[in-house]
Amino acid sequence: MSNIDSKVLRYKVENINTLPTVPGVLKRLSVIIEKPRITLVEISAFISNDPALTTKVLKMVNSAIYGFPGRIASVSHATMLLGLNVIKGLLLGVSVFELMQKTMNGLYEHSLACAIASRVIAQKKGLKEPEEISVAGLLHDIGKVILLLEFPKEYETAMNEAQAKGISIYEAERIQFNATHANVGSWLAEKWRFPKNLIEVIEFHHRPTLSKNAPMETAIVHFADMLVRARAFGFAGENMVPEINPVAYEMLKLSETDIKDVLNEMEDNMDSAEDIS
Amino acid sequence: MPKIPVAKLEAGMKLAKPVVGKNGMVMLGEGTELSETWVERIRDMDIASVFIDGPPIQAIPREEALANLETRFAAVEGKPHMNLIKKIVKEHIEGLYE
Repeated sequence: MSNIDSKVLRYKVENINTLPTVPGVLKRLSVIIEKPRITLVEISAFISNDPALTTKVLKMVNSAIYGFPGRIASVSHATMLLGLNVIKGLLLGVSVFELMQKTMNGLYEHSLACAIASRVIAQKKGLKEPEEISVAGLLHDIGKVILLLEFPKEYETAMNEAQAKGISIYEAERIQFNATHANVGSWLAEKWRFPKNLIEVIEFHHRPTLSKNAPMETAIVHFADMLVRARAFGFAGENMVPEINPVAYEMLKLSETDIKDVLNEMEDNMDSAEDIS
Repeated sequence: MPKIPVAKLEAGMKLAKPVVGKNGMVMLGEGTELSETWVERIRDMDIASVFIDGPPIQAIPREEALANLETRFAAVEGKPHMNLIKKIVKEHIEGLYE
């Protein structure tokens, strides 16, 4: 059984800036995005001052994850178009990219595919801000990155357990840490002052019926996560397709053609999306 | 539109996307047919792979892909809606090999 107290775990995660394993970029970013009254201009300046970050942000904005027609050539244009919350999520997405590759091979592909699928489903359902759902898809597993960084040995045990017992990584995490990547991700999202909807998607993407404020968004990412695993894009801890929550399924009411469209859209865009690095 | 590692590039292939240098400058435009010289130049640049026109190339053979699909779905067999989802994904994967 686990020897990690979930309160201690939460304390550690909320003090991410003092974790020795978290790289400088993420710490600097964390300081910026948790400011309560950060403005678009400030965040735009922060990105523009870092040429490498600027390139990554522009590549990401112009990728299939967001699906904007035409080209966005400047950071200020991108920030105006996407808004503060999406930009915050996107910044985090590009910054954890390298971490994902270092910590779990395939997690970035999984997250990218999930972002694309979430966006396409959101558009099919006529949601107003499909970009926000993309970000939710991109970041839904961010808790795994933090767990892997801080507890690499314990996480490996969890992955081996999942494999050996045929249980999901979500269950294996609970046994190992008394908490899951969904909890860890939501603690971080709260600390980083993400919108309530995004926090709920991250927290409940395995149990979508518990979401009070964003049931539709949560159902979308829950479905996207399952579909990405079904198609086997990337790797998220084990190789099993999770069961779809029937309530979420009924809420989305996707037709067979809809699901095929989502698959095709992922297929067409994964190669070029992986190029964002 | 497969992504091809630079080592496997051959003259006569056509770029499906521009080759872009580290600074974001376009070095070769979309639609360029590669000559021996271009292939060499691309290899001299610090680039891992480029996009080439043509049908995508699948990483594993069809039978293996379908066998993996069965394994992935084994635990949710018969669960609500999962058989339909499996059928759709299976048709989708089969479609990739046609």
